[in-house]
Amino acid sequence: MLSLQHISKYYQAGGNKNYVINDISLDVDEGEFVSIMGPSGSGKSTLLNIIGMLDEPSEGYHYFVNEAVHQLKEKKRAALYKQYIGFVFQAYHLIDELTVYENIETPLIYQDVKGSERKAMVADMLDRFQIVGKKDLFPAQLSGGQQQLVGIARALIAKPKLILADEPTGNLNSKQGEEIMELFSKLNKEDGVTIIQVTHSEKNAEYGSRIINLLDGRIESSRKF
Amino acid sequence: MIKNYFKIALRNLWRHRGFSFINIAGLSVGITACFFIFMYVSFELSYDDFHSKGDRIYRIVTDIKTPSETINTSSTSWAFAPAIKADFPQVEAFVRVSGGSFLVRKDNVKFQEDNTLFADSTFFSVFDFKLLKGDPKTALTQQASLVFSETAAKKYFGDKDPVGQTVLVTGDAIPAVVTGVMEDMPENSQIKADMLISMSTLTQKFNKGLDDQWGNYGATSYLLLKPGVNYKSFEAQLPAFMEKRNGTEAKQSQMFATLFLEPLKDVYLHSTRSGQQSGSINNVYVFSIVAVFILLIACINFINLTTARSVERAKEVGIRKVVGAAKGELAGQFIGESIILCLFAFIITIILSVLLLPTFNQLAGKTVSPGVFSNAYYILSLFGISVGIGLLAGIYPALVISSFKPVLVLKGRFSTGNKGSLLRKSLVVAQFSISIALIIGTIIVYNQMDFMQNRDLGFSKDQTIVLDTNGDPAKDAFKQSVKEIPGVKSAALSSSIPGGGNMGAYSEIENSKGDLQIANLDLYYVDFDYIKQYNIKMVAGRAFSRDFLKTDTTQAMILNEEAVKLFGYTSPQQAIGRRFKQWGREGKIIGVMKDFHYRSLQEKIKPLSMRAENGNLNMISIKVSAKNLPATLSAIESKWKTLIPNRPYSYYFLDEFFDRQYRSEQRFGKLFFNFSILAISISCLGLLGLASYSTFQRTREIGIRKVLGATTTGIVNMLSVDFIKLVIISIFIATPVAWYFMYKWLKDFAYRIDIQWWVFVLSGSLAIVVALLTISFQAIKAAIANPVKSLRSE
Repeated sequence: MLSLQHISKYYQAGGNKNYVINDISLDVDEGEFVSIMGPSGSGKSTLLNIIGMLDEPSEGYHYFVNEAVHQLKEKKRAALYKQYIGFVFQAYHLIDELTVYENIETPLIYQDVKGSERKAMVADMLDRFQIVGKKDLFPAQLSGGQQQLVGIARALIAKPKLILADEPTGNLNSKQGEEIMELFSKLNKEDGVTIIQVTHSEKNAEYGSRIINLLDGRIESSRKF
Repeated sequence: MIKNYFKIALRNLWRHRGFSFINIAGLSVGITACFFIFMYVSFELSYDDFHSKGDRIYRIVTDIKTPSETINTSSTSWAFAPAIKADFPQVEAFVRVSGGSFLVRKDNVKFQEDNTLFADSTFFSVFDFKLLKGDPKTALTQQASLVFSETAAKKYFGDKDPVGQTVLVTGDAIPAVVTGVMEDMPENSQIKADMLISMSTLTQKFNKGLDDQWGNYGATSYLLLKPGVNYKSFEAQLPAFMEKRNGTEAKQSQMFATLFLEPLKDVYLHSTRSGQQSGSINNVYVFSIVAVFILLIACINFINLTTARSVERAKEVGIRKVVGAAKGELAGQFIGESIILCLFAFIITIILSVLLLPTFNQLAGKTVSPGVFSNAYYILSLFGISVGIGLLAGIYPALVISSFKPVLVLKGRFSTGNKGSLLRKSLVVAQFSISIALIIGTIIVYNQMDFMQNRDLGFSKDQTIVLDTNGDPAKDAFKQSVKEIPGVKSAALSSSIPGGGNMGAYSEIENSKGDLQIANLDLYYVDFDYIKQYNIKMVAGRAFSRDFLKTDTTQAMILNEEAVKLFGYTSPQQAIGRRFKQWGREGKIIGVMKDFHYRSLQEKIKPLSMRAENGNLNMISIKVSAKNLPATLSAIESKWKTLIPNRPYSYYFLDEFFDRQYRSEQRFGKLFFNFSILAISISCLGLLGLASYSTFQRTREIGIRKVLGATTTGIVNMLSVDFIKLVIISIFIATPVAWYFMYKWLKDFAYRIDIQWWVFVLSGSLAIVVALLTISFQAIKAAIANPVKSLRSE
């Protein structure tokens, strides 16, 4: 599904290059559930952002569903990204001014989905996550776990092939976290959605089919189950 | 998508009510001010635009060159226009008008019609004044025919048809037939009258032979040129025409007239010659600039507040980008929001305009607009202005906000950076520069007004009331009986009073070389009490005196110092006993009076002559005691009612009358004052928003500083200094600019103040104080807040 080859990301500091990602090569197949681990500052989030095209690498080749991302123009890249990728954040990042319903609906708006169709899709999603009763509440009125559910629902609404999750349970208590991880696992197995998550928790990482350990911008170890 | 944006916009407005209020209030006030100026300017520009032949109508104006000076006048002699029509086939028609004031009586109803015009019979075919009743072709043909405005006709005839009825004019002397009723002349007409009398009444009945008098100026003449005639090249032929028709007479009288044409549409705003009504294109420019400034200030507020607040929107932008929004879509959303904000401002503006319009009309001194909704064009342009501002002010913040990088924003590693803050700072400087310049302007305008009203004019204008007897035969008897009233100190008759018009007389005066020198002198006819009552000082010779009754009323003249200078005398004493010839009288100069300001201070004092002739002494000035004024006034009124019962009683105070000459300056000052207040308030509103934002941003820093031991004063200072620096920069920008423009403005006044340094200091301090008050409110609030709170929330 995606392939990174000799990807590096560095910042120029004086005469030195400060590497955040140092020559990483990585292939992810469709249907995989990858967990990226590592200490703070090891480059996990940057790697995830590069995969998600939110950030650009300084060097290297990046292929996604057979497109050479590093050669694509901004617009094309955005289109590709819109179609295939959904993001889930540690801090949920819901829009405070929008209700649950509207937050979930937003991606569809940017993909020019018709109004009636949007309604059906959002209703379906609310149903699936059992948050129909909360659809008119604002994010501030929800618990952290509920907000993250909405965040995942929003990431899923456009039926992405790949979900990128940056410490999705970082702000949740362990019970809420477990539920979220169960959900990911289910999505991965039943719907065949590819998932790449960044996590600090060994336990959460084990929901995945592969764990990659980063240290100082390099892949230290990688193991498959 | 629109619905989604709309919702977000409304919710955002509501969530940040304070900011929204500042934004909308600033915009509404700014747009309202602009809208009023816009109405005023378009009203001024609309003068005389309702004449369908307007582009072919020209006013004839005259430069009269005499040996002493060149007189630029808007009037012509009665002979010019008919002669031009006879000599030039390019001329389709001419209209002459000349003003007057007549007592009109219908049975028991009588009024003094001050707004009367004699007009040629072509009046209704050249101009587009509508005749409601009567035949426009013949209404003004016959002698003593008369056309009333609708309103005037009602006064005499109520709902009855006036056409064919007879009224008595000029103190019952002449019966005139009403031949028509015209629509009231529009407000934006430079020619205005409530009553028209046929010109032939004047030129063939009152003053026979007037049509052939080339040297008698008193008519305003308009020419209607045939289509396709170039008026400039037509104008070029006029000197030859004048030479042919009037050459000999001109040489004799030493008065050489050059004729020029002014397009009708330029008369009101562009002509520097006096007319019935005149506006000033400079005022139009000044106010247009002020409007643009105010709008600019309001827009700057908007831009500043929006970009400053963009940090709060950054997260939303990041999320939207992550879920697939393109930059263009986001920019569209934010521009849309600013347009929505402006639409709110639009609605408030309409409400404000409706409420404030009467006040504005009063301030402007005329009905600029009868109602905001009276003109769909106004509302439409207001809407246009609002949406335009929304677009204009929305674009920059929209571009800034929509280009945030989501990775940075969502990580929280986000700062607005120095670039944006530099821009914000320059915008604040721009705002305050404009405001300070306006304040400086206001102070200088008021200083000049004050100077003009309090300057020693060289005569006494206090406690004097003036009545116009219109030459009633009983005026002398009235004067005598008024003097018997206990509260009356003295009374004097004269042909003119200071601040009013005066006659200009063709004169020949013996100069220092002993020759008779031709000059056009201003002329006052006065009685024996006038000079004493007005406290005009004599510097040589003597004033008119009853001791020389015979000679003083027939062969004596008094000049002012300016006139003495004109004829080459180095001291006033030298002029005494010299010869004069003026309007058929000959005699000697008996005295020289000290110069006094008989015209407004906008003009230099001109050469003036006075004679004690018993003609034209229409005005009576009565010096009253301040004690028991109401009783004195009612006593004067009852004397008037018994002695001059035919004329309506109306009086005015001389000092007020004199100051009326500065009405347009006063109005200008008032408008200027109001707009400066507006500008500074809007600027402060913006500053308030910016200050509260910046303190909000620095909450954490303030918390840390407090924990480290900073005092409240120290923190207030720290927060204020940044903004005060900007205001100080503004003072330095505003000062030279304001100085330059006010210097130019003052140049129009012959007697003017010097611009004092303290004006700038005062304006600057004022701005600083206002800014400090604005900022300190926020700063103090932030400084006394408990640091534990702000740090915990971080």
